[in-house]
Amino acid sequence: MSAIRLQINGAAVTDDVPPRLSLADFLRERRNLTGTHLGCEHGVCGACTVLVDGEPARSCLMLAVACDEREVTTIEGFAGDPAIEALRRNFHRHHALQCGFCTPAMLITARDLILRQRAGSEREIRDALAGNICRCTGYTNIVTAIAETAKEIGKEAPNA
Amino acid sequence: MPDDRYGVGASLLRREDDRHLHGRGQFVADVKLPGTMDIAFVRSPHAHARIRSITVPPEARGRVFTAADLPRVKPIRVVSHSTGAKSPPWPPLATDKVRYVGEAIAACIAPSRGEAEDLANAVSVDFEILDAVIDAPRDMRGSRHPMHEHWGDNLYIEHMLQGGDIDAAARAADVVVTREFRMQRQSGAPLECRGVLAYRDYRLDEVVVFASTQTPHTVRVALAEILDIEERCIRVVAPDVGGGFGPKARLYPEEIILAALALELDHPVRWIEDRSEHLLTTAHTRDHHYKVTAYADRQGLILGVDAEIVVDAGAYGLWPQGPYHEAGMVARALPGPYTIPHYRAKHSTVATNKTPLGPYRGVGRPGACFVIERLIDEIARAIGHEPNEVRLLNLVRPEQMPFTTIGGMRLDSGDYAQSVRLCAELLDMPAIRARQQRSEPDSRLIGIGFATFAEQTAHGAAEFAARGASIIPGFESCTARILTDGSVVLMVGIQSHGQGLETALSQVAAEELGIDPARISVRHGDTESTAFGFGTFASRSMVMSGGAVARASRMLRDKLCRIGAHLLQCDVAEVRCVDGLVSGPQGSVTIAEIAKVAHLRMDGLPQGVDPLLDATATYEPAISTGVYSYATHGAVVAVDPETGFVELLDYAVAEDCGTMVNPMLVEGQIRGGVVQGIGTALFEEIPYDEAGQPLAGTLADYLMPGAAEMPAIKIGHLHTPTPHTEYGMKGMGEGGAVAPPAAIANAVRDALSSIGAEVNETPITPRRVLTAIKKARGPKA
Repeated sequence: MSAIRLQINGAAVTDDVPPRLSLADFLRERRNLTGTHLGCEHGVCGACTVLVDGEPARSCLMLAVACDEREVTTIEGFAGDPAIEALRRNFHRHHALQCGFCTPAMLITARDLILRQRAGSEREIRDALAGNICRCTGYTNIVTAIAETAKEIGKEAPNA
Repeated sequence: MPDDRYGVGASLLRREDDRHLHGRGQFVADVKLPGTMDIAFVRSPHAHARIRSITVPPEARGRVFTAADLPRVKPIRVVSHSTGAKSPPWPPLATDKVRYVGEAIAACIAPSRGEAEDLANAVSVDFEILDAVIDAPRDMRGSRHPMHEHWGDNLYIEHMLQGGDIDAAARAADVVVTREFRMQRQSGAPLECRGVLAYRDYRLDEVVVFASTQTPHTVRVALAEILDIEERCIRVVAPDVGGGFGPKARLYPEEIILAALALELDHPVRWIEDRSEHLLTTAHTRDHHYKVTAYADRQGLILGVDAEIVVDAGAYGLWPQGPYHEAGMVARALPGPYTIPHYRAKHSTVATNKTPLGPYRGVGRPGACFVIERLIDEIARAIGHEPNEVRLLNLVRPEQMPFTTIGGMRLDSGDYAQSVRLCAELLDMPAIRARQQRSEPDSRLIGIGFATFAEQTAHGAAEFAARGASIIPGFESCTARILTDGSVVLMVGIQSHGQGLETALSQVAAEELGIDPARISVRHGDTESTAFGFGTFASRSMVMSGGAVARASRMLRDKLCRIGAHLLQCDVAEVRCVDGLVSGPQGSVTIAEIAKVAHLRMDGLPQGVDPLLDATATYEPAISTGVYSYATHGAVVAVDPETGFVELLDYAVAEDCGTMVNPMLVEGQIRGGVVQGIGTALFEEIPYDEAGQPLAGTLADYLMPGAAEMPAIKIGHLHTPTPHTEYGMKGMGEGGAVAPPAAIANAVRDALSSIGAEVNETPITPRRVLTAIKKARGPKA
């Protein structure tokens, strides 16, 4: 067992974890943060994407012990975040989700590319989503929802 | 009374979205119960072997369960009434023999999945390895080590479907086109893998099984039979299900074993499938071989089609329908919506040492469409016509409706030719033909291709009885209940796993009751709260469950009107139920007030009217052989003749599914289906080696369509309501996935026409394109 101390969604957490425990299993099984989903557990589908120190990361490939002294944000931790709020609104309005399994990670990835200003065109958005598989929607509406959100956010903060 | 804000026809936004957007969906793996132990399975590493012995280390005793430890578990057995159908017993944990890589042998229990896997690794199994049956056309008549010893061959079933006189067609033909086609084996691959959680509820004296399934009620039927307990002691719950697409519409060994373990043990048990297990053990799909000859006259009128169809169905039949329906559907759908007079199809379903084959969006039809549409294009090329001219010449015409195809499909309504013209318009076909006259700066070759199909949907009793099915999904049910405050709960036997049925069914009730859908809940996926139903598959749920909701809602509306008229002191013929009110000539009363009378103040009830607002109805369409949606798909591709890479430049669908309850949801289903069909066409494949080892065990080997490779998909609608259903709805969930392999293969053929190459196998990978080009250019090139 290894002792870890980290921030999860803004709250300090300490725990003793087996060295082989993945961050995803730690979040889901020990913290009951089940909005982080496991679709492949080998880093391809992207359903387990969370933020680690503000950067998107595959929580299925990352070990919990590697998150010692770091800051983890899951879908449950974006209350009041304007980009996520706008994405939620636009995903709803444009029917950009069906079964909902890829959705939390899709939102986290989309937020990241909007904040990095990598959502300027359909081509750019599609390429940036290469690491998040959606089996239901065919992507068209996801791309539209992200493009709409990028436009809205761009208007609010032209120099962001 | 139609209401365009939220009734039938409104693109009402989904009530399902909010929970998922906040990460609050509840999938099986999210259900937390104290004391739950995780399960990992010991699985066969061999395709075909006898089990000599299983050795469990002493320290693992009591935590590893083999078939011998669970004597109450009987084999899975599919019953078919189809002539000559063979049905092998399938022990949920292997006893003497394993027949595919991944077959379950023992269940191992530990506090975490990782520890359960450690335990599974400590179990050793002594195998006597047998030759694998791998090549269905080669091995169907027999093999050195047959799949099921007493059969004599490796055939589940073999039938002939014929109509007209194929020899007469052959004699009369000016043009004869013969081809072999192949649609490779693939996975349905919903993003959520399967999962099961089972526990004893001692208070209710039942075993509760949470499962990621499309069919909770029939899973309960099977569990009761196989475990020999009464259904009243079993509850099956499908919570949020992360995509299904067909593979989750079957019973699996893991559901049986987990339920059996819950009966043995005093704590909940959980098995969450990982992706590699999914690719090994969840139903595979497609895997068709074809040899086909088409006969036509010199105008391109098709006189006859002669087909040999072999479906490689894997090691066992999945309950309830077994391995039989895939090839049968292919044979009947192969003539498409065309007026072909002569037809012969021999179809064979073969047992091999591969994962059992099951349904996946389209069931047989993507292969059938691929074959007939490629043949149409080749006939057109043989006579020097545009493929769509030949398509239009042979398509069923509106004045011929209803029209029964030579394959036996009764098409009910629509203008199929118009879908071809609309699709060509959406892709601006003249502009593509003009572009093809110029050479591309990057030397790629541009092609455009089309495919038209009819989609049998919402088929019920007549259809499944004709197939020899022992379980006949001939109806759906709804219990509609108005509570004391006038809010509504609909309890339905189907299961929604992304389709948006919670939203769409609430629209149907809103249409009938005049109640805002925001005041209507939809409950599904739980045997405890819903009347019996079959679940969601075969493009049936909106037609059948929507019909049941409409009927149950009308029963409630009639009662609301009777009570309302009594309260308003007018005649029941004078009142209407709209906008949350029952209104008469002199005034109105709210549904909430009526509900209060029906439950809490029954002194206000008219004579002869019982308390409660609670109605259960079932529904089956007036025609139980199915109602037919149809569409034409078109693809524009750029093929790089140097690398063989196919890029999709554009894609369009022109479709007719009758009345759309929620057009936004319809378009969502179309686009999602198309991208799955593109996966079949270009990417997805589970190859096997000669020893029967599957070669796609992760998503690194098994390529799924990503956003970057997909075009935006254009959609055009035609509207021909069917006379046979409520509101004129037709099912449409599967259609999107049917035509992409055909349309894309025709587009690739068009692009390669100057070379003379064609690819008649999916997925159309760069290697297959290069092989076709090399073959066309001949040995000197």
